[in-house]
Amino acid sequence: MADQIASRTSSDGVSSGSPRPRTIVVGLGNPVLGDDGVGWRVADEVELRLSDAREAGREIPAVVVERLGVGGLQLMEFLTGYEEAILVDAVDFPGRPLGEVRVCSLDELDPYAAGHLDSAHDASLRTALALGHRLGARLPDRIQTVTVQAIRTDEFSEDLSPEIEAAVPAAATAVFELILG
Amino acid sequence: MERITIDPVTRLEGHGKIEIFLDPDGEVANAYFQIPELRGFERFCVGRPVEEMPTLTNRICGVCPEAHHMASAKAADAVYHVDPPRAAKLLRELLYSAFYVTDHTTHFYALGGPDFIVGPDAPPAERNILGVLAKVGMEVGGQVIRARKQGHNVIEMIGGRKIHPATAVPGGMTHGITEEQRAEIEKIGRWSIEFAQFSLGIFDKVVLGNDAYKEMILSDGYTHRTYYMGLVDQNNQTNFYDGRISIVSPDGERVGTYAPAEYRDWIAEHVEPWTYLKFPYLKKVGWKGFVDGADSGVYCATPLSRLNVAEGMATPLAQAAYERFYDTLAPTPESGGKRLVHHRLATHWARLIELLYAAERMVELATDPEITSPNIRTVPTEKPTEGVGTVEAPRGTLTHHYWTDERGVLTAVNLLVGTTNNYAPMALSIKKAAQSLIHKGVVVHQGLLNRVEMAFRLYDPCFGCATHSFPGEMPLQVAIRKSDGEVLEILSQNC
Repeated sequence: MADQIASRTSSDGVSSGSPRPRTIVVGLGNPVLGDDGVGWRVADEVELRLSDAREAGREIPAVVVERLGVGGLQLMEFLTGYEEAILVDAVDFPGRPLGEVRVCSLDELDPYAAGHLDSAHDASLRTALALGHRLGARLPDRIQTVTVQAIRTDEFSEDLSPEIEAAVPAAATAVFELILG
Repeated sequence: MERITIDPVTRLEGHGKIEIFLDPDGEVANAYFQIPELRGFERFCVGRPVEEMPTLTNRICGVCPEAHHMASAKAADAVYHVDPPRAAKLLRELLYSAFYVTDHTTHFYALGGPDFIVGPDAPPAERNILGVLAKVGMEVGGQVIRARKQGHNVIEMIGGRKIHPATAVPGGMTHGITEEQRAEIEKIGRWSIEFAQFSLGIFDKVVLGNDAYKEMILSDGYTHRTYYMGLVDQNNQTNFYDGRISIVSPDGERVGTYAPAEYRDWIAEHVEPWTYLKFPYLKKVGWKGFVDGADSGVYCATPLSRLNVAEGMATPLAQAAYERFYDTLAPTPESGGKRLVHHRLATHWARLIELLYAAERMVELATDPEITSPNIRTVPTEKPTEGVGTVEAPRGTLTHHYWTDERGVLTAVNLLVGTTNNYAPMALSIKKAAQSLIHKGVVVHQGLLNRVEMAFRLYDPCFGCATHSFPGEMPLQVAIRKSDGEVLEILSQNC
């Protein structure tokens, strides 16, 4: 069954002939919905830092960086074939300061504050992952989340709130550290 | 008056909140569905070139970007007064049919299916796709994943990207497909036909073969006699991509059909003080409140509505399934001459008939001799002005309306999204289900509340277009309050 689940190809930013990356970084969110776009912005920043580090001669593991606005089954399908995944998303934890960056595993993440891990037209990511495992898909052994406490996610805009904008470097650093292990 | 709050609703994107108000005797007086709305879309769009809209609007929502992409491209065609070549229309419809296969498959197995196949009284933790597969066989899960994967592959082949297609532009498409791709899509379409028939078979066995479920489908609590809306082709048969919008009355009379550009002559929006959402209704009938019947302008736009407004399906297997649907649920025509199904839970069945139609249509389109034609764009030459584009989104008729200046820069935008059409019917359904299920002295337990949720889940509502939030794995919390706000009891699941 595993072959029926979408697998990534060299078109995802990995040059043909290179070893297949073990890790995928996914910036989740909607880039035109204010602070909801923070996952994408962090993904941009991570990509930039990866490029800079490689140009500076550092040995950086091969990583695929994606920007998605999906959850559930579709996100599970995107994660298939990787050993590690890092999900970056906006969250709404009650009472937390705006722009706060938190790192934890998917299992530790409060399910009620998670961003795009569920959908009206899909299963939750946890259910989707359970389905993928039962169907024999190769899914990441480790799924980490980097979250940014956000607020303005109900108004169309390509801009982040100042507090969220200021959190992008810290979130990118957190992702970078996870990539380096 | 006492109040029951269900907040938030499970398996719904966005902070949907149901408010059920009880009268002093503990009977349901009213039920409302409150949905926060996204703001500033028009302001966000104005000042942009109209040709950006097909790729911009498919970012509105992660659920049906293909629908927004198509409605937007059609509106942009109209703005530039350009008619795309036939091959471009075929390609757009082919992409769109593949999208329908993936979307309807996901809804049946992940959302609607759990209510029936797992059962309305099953624990919430089991009412998901895993619960469905536990009943029908884990190997079916592989078929669901395959249907989705293949659909996304077709979308990528034609639309350039798996999730947010980008190839429909004013006047046509930016690229076509090769013979090799065409053959692959045809193969996928043929497999999808078998899968759709298999899914209808599951519905037949598990739902129609269960007297209790059949009774629930036919029960008064899930029945409304409203007007119906849907796109039809020149033969009055269902079409998702193009055609005229048809309206049928609750008595089975065809009230009329109109071109998408005439929508404002037919549809008006009602405002309520308790929400900033607007409730569309039929202008010619008028707003009479949250009531059904021929005197009320409330209309419904869903898979069930699309079948109700059509004279049939344009493909043979779907037509046979359509006949069986009406023979089973509406053997006798209404006074207006048309057979109608008013049982809202039958929408799940209608959705599977549409799945079969979409799969058959994929094969028809993939085997059209013109589908690989390189003639896929008519370059716009006329001065841009104003245009309307309409498609049937899986969850209702979707209309984009743009106004531009002479350079093609947007000066105004109006969107009537699929789910919005059904705001009033959803409120009706919630109220009626609650009325039939909540009475004084009856303990409000979770299976019962899920049946209330089932009343609107059948509409496949999407609030991604109108709202967005951080739902995660959504809890269900029910607060039962007195009219002064004091909480009498709190029930919850997934918390």
